[in-house]
Amino acid sequence: MIHEWLLDGSLALLILTLAVAVLYVRSLYASIVLFIAFGLLLALIWARLGAPDLALAEAAIGAGLTGTLLLAALGRTPVSQRAEPAFSGARQYVRSGPAVVLSLLIFWILLQAVLPLPEQSSAVVRAAEQHLDAAGVAHPVTAVLLNFRAWDTLLELLVLLLAFMAVRQLLPSLPRAPEAWPLLLGWSCLLAPLIILIGGYLLWRGSSDPGGAFQAGALLAAGAILLRLTDLLPAMGWHHAWVRLLVLGGCAFFLLVGLFTHWLGAGFLAYPEGWAGPLIILIEVAATLSIAITLTLLVIGETREVRG
Amino acid sequence: MTAALAALLIPLFTALGLLLLRSRSGPLVILTSLATLAAACWALVEVTTSGPQSLHLGDWPEPLAIRFQLQPITALLLVFTALIHLLVAVYAARSRHCRTRDTDYWPLSCLLQGSLNALWLSSDLFNWYVTLELLGLAAVALVALSGRKAYGPALNYLLLSLGASLVYLLGVALIYGRYGVLDITLLATQTEADQSTRVAFWLMTLGLMLKAALWPLHLWLPKAHASAPTAVSALLSALVVKGPLFILWRLWSEAAPVELAIETGPLLAIAGVAALLLGGWSALRTPWLKSLVAYSTVAQLGYALMALGLLMHWQLPALDAALWLFVLAHGLAKASMFLAAGELQATLGSKRVSALRGTTETMPVAMFAFAVAGGSLIGLPPSGGFLAKWMLLEPMLGQSEHWPWVAGILLGTLISAGYVFRVVALAFDRADPVPPDFKPDRFAHWLAMLPALVVWGLALVSQPLIAWLTGATP
Repeated sequence: MIHEWLLDGSLALLILTLAVAVLYVRSLYASIVLFIAFGLLLALIWARLGAPDLALAEAAIGAGLTGTLLLAALGRTPVSQRAEPAFSGARQYVRSGPAVVLSLLIFWILLQAVLPLPEQSSAVVRAAEQHLDAAGVAHPVTAVLLNFRAWDTLLELLVLLLAFMAVRQLLPSLPRAPEAWPLLLGWSCLLAPLIILIGGYLLWRGSSDPGGAFQAGALLAAGAILLRLTDLLPAMGWHHAWVRLLVLGGCAFFLLVGLFTHWLGAGFLAYPEGWAGPLIILIEVAATLSIAITLTLLVIGETREVRG
Repeated sequence: MTAALAALLIPLFTALGLLLLRSRSGPLVILTSLATLAAACWALVEVTTSGPQSLHLGDWPEPLAIRFQLQPITALLLVFTALIHLLVAVYAARSRHCRTRDTDYWPLSCLLQGSLNALWLSSDLFNWYVTLELLGLAAVALVALSGRKAYGPALNYLLLSLGASLVYLLGVALIYGRYGVLDITLLATQTEADQSTRVAFWLMTLGLMLKAALWPLHLWLPKAHASAPTAVSALLSALVVKGPLFILWRLWSEAAPVELAIETGPLLAIAGVAALLLGGWSALRTPWLKSLVAYSTVAQLGYALMALGLLMHWQLPALDAALWLFVLAHGLAKASMFLAAGELQATLGSKRVSALRGTTETMPVAMFAFAVAGGSLIGLPPSGGFLAKWMLLEPMLGQSEHWPWVAGILLGTLISAGYVFRVVALAFDRADPVPPDFKPDRFAHWLAMLPALVVWGLALVSQPLIAWLTGATP
């Protein structure tokens, strides 16, 4: 009992320290590295709270991918344009005083709202447990994401597509191509097959245990980015038809399933009897590939065609 | 419901198809917009003849599924969205000055329409969060089409929009923790005015007000709307800010406990009056034409916010009709005004209001469209704006304790007249007109005129329209 408290207490202290450090450290680079550490610690905390799905997603997307995106953005910013946080000593602490007071006030109000919340499980959770047998997958989180609330997930895939589209509108800046040193090359060759294996495993496990399309997609993207940075993978861009097909495939397939289920009379996004399992797997495969390619394109960017 | 689903899916499939083929074909988008409009009209007819419908997605039972709800007002908004989208698409394809022709405007605007339609149809708190994210991202991407000078406003818009989404989501999480349901109709039967509910509703309101640029959380709007390409400004002002407003309305008129609504109403109404006065004041002062139109959006949203606040405070369902009339009239007028302003400034080669001197002589049609749309914003009879304002004023005039609100509305009207006549008076100064750089594009000017004429035409059907709206809103 006591060592559990010790662990949780130190996690809580550590995450607060890291949060403050992210905000107040002097160089942007250090701040990003600390942010990645913050994300990993947060994943650990989710795991401690009994939410392994969230922990996986946080580690893959919150820490891994967001960190990579931030580093990529930093790499593309000319040194002259970097607004490094200027540290002005005591004055900075004085200036953050009102912010601290405001934060404490908000914290107090939220605490008042959260404390009286009831403990028992909600009507929706009970309904989900009751209908889990008909959902086509054994893992409740996957059942919610791809069956009970599939429409949300479909829209989330569109959100990702739109995020990519928004980045595409920005004018390209020259990405720097650093030389890959031999160790990185060898290490990537070793890692790549493992990453594909683990990605596939995460995807497959999603139907019965924590895991699923978003985590697998993020992992595959990490592998692709690694290989691309070491020049082991040929350049890919929006002008390749297969890239477009894979990026759009996730949303398109999902939408087509909705369309056909409505057409066949089962109801919009209502999988026909006995088809739920296979359809969910197919949707997840399409979504994983779409997520992986989109995230890869977001990080390594497209160097050739942006406009016109 | 099939018709409503078609109106939702056609734009989404169009966008995916355009992206897949790397096509930037305006005529194709116009064609599919027409199909969407037809589907939306069909949904409207269906809902008027056979009453409201609802659809449980995935065929799951009550608390589990996301529910689509097709009410008369939803169908009307579907038609309104399709109409504005079609008009702007025709403008973007045909106008010589439109800079969005060879960009990703086409797929993005289709995605925007699809996400708005998803928002209108949904009745689930979390699903609304996802549609809000979609809407925000699409809008930001569209603003960024303007090129480098728009990156700053677009980034501000993105960050504020994400922050607002998170605040809204926090409220939704509290509601889910307290009641365990997300569907708004189920929620309506359960809510009580306790501390958790109060904080949750305030958080959601705060997030939505930021998203809808309701005063005092409007500061991102003028820059973002003014720096976007003309077609995009029209879409943003006419449609996008109405999405969060719709959710706000449904939250407070359906789900919120009555005590809480009565208590919060005056705050919103006061914010509405402040928006009217201060937004109008900024529109009076700004030297830039598009900023003037954008600030007028901030001011005009004040009327809608005021209608919402007062309907919450007095529990007067009659004001629902006023609120939605404002939304329709403002959307039409603002589409017209932005298109006209964009044409005027592109033809004159200047973004300043002062460049409009003598435009009644050089570009009479565009200026007339601007003035006619402005007349509806002021609320001159017999325009749609007048109808809405009359519906809002009617329940107040009888009771003397409500006269301070009346004074606020009248003062707001005076200021809107001020900023509209500021432009119109300059346009009639024909002694020394600013010469246009290009030959005016007649077709685009008439296109800008179209919604302005429709908004004045609303007055012709005012009696059945008001009766329908009063019956249509629950």
